[in-house]
Amino acid sequence: MPISTEELNGGITRVILEGRLDIEGAAAVDMRMNVIAGTKTAVLVDLQKVSFLGSMGLRALVAPARAIKGRGGKIVLFGPNEMVEKVLKTSGVDAMIPIHHELQNAIAALQ
Amino acid sequence: MTGNGMDTTRERLELRSRMSELAQIFPWIERLASRHAIPANTQFAMNLCLEEVLSNIIRHGYSGQAGHSIAVRFASPRKDYYIFSVEDEAPPFNPVEAPELPALNALDDTGVGGQGIRLLRRFADALEYQSTPTGNRLSIGFIAAGSATAKD
Repeated sequence: MPISTEELNGGITRVILEGRLDIEGAAAVDMRMNVIAGTKTAVLVDLQKVSFLGSMGLRALVAPARAIKGRGGKIVLFGPNEMVEKVLKTSGVDAMIPIHHELQNAIAALQ
Repeated sequence: MTGNGMDTTRERLELRSRMSELAQIFPWIERLASRHAIPANTQFAMNLCLEEVLSNIIRHGYSGQAGHSIAVRFASPRKDYYIFSVEDEAPPFNPVEAPELPALNALDDTGVGGQGIRLLRRFADALEYQSTPTGNRLSIGFIAAGSATAKD
C-alpha cells in the first residue's frame, strides 16, 4: 500500500494513504506510521484514496494516533469514503480521531 | 480444482492456515462480484467479514500453526442474497454468541482488539453458527446493498 507525506503550512504533516488498508496494507504502512507518530505533532491522515479498511487497518491508525496524542499532538482523518467511514464509526475510532471531509476544516482542527 | 486452490465451478476457496493466504480473498470476491453483479458496498462488507473471520481462525482457532485448512463456499440462493459458509477444524468458537467489546472511545488506552466481532455483526446481514464433528461452520449472509431488504 503506497504511503506518502507532504508538509503543509503550520507544521502540519499530511499522510496520504492509497489502496487497501487490510492486513497486508496495514503491515506495509505500520513502520512508516510509527516513525511519523514518533516525530510529528500535527498529522492529517488523508484517506481519500483508501478503498478498504479492516480491523488490522484500524490498528494502523489507532496506535499512531495514541502515540501522537500521548506526546501532546493532534491527529485528524480526512476524506474517508462511505464504507471506510462506516468502519471507523462502528468501531468508535471517530471518538478518538476526528473525521473531516473538508480539507480546510481538517487543517483548522490541527491548529 | 485449479493450481491456486480455487474451484471456480463450485465457487469454493480452500485456504491453508497462513495469514498470507488471505490475499486470495479480495480477487476471489472480485470474480464473484463480476459474475453475480454484487454491488461495491456489499463487496466491501464481504471482504471485511471474511478477513475478520478467516484471520481469527488462523490466529486464534489454529493458534497461528501452519498445516491446517479452511474451506469457504459461496452460494447465491436467491437474487440479491449471498452466503459464505466458512468451515474449519479448530476448537469450538461461536462468534455469534461471543461477547462484544465496547466500541473504542476517546479515553481508551488499550488495543483495538475485539472490534472484529463488532464489525462482523454490523456488516453482515445474517450470521449462523454450527458446531461440526470436526470443528466449526459459520454462515455469513449478505443482502445486496441498495436492494429492498438491504440494511442500509
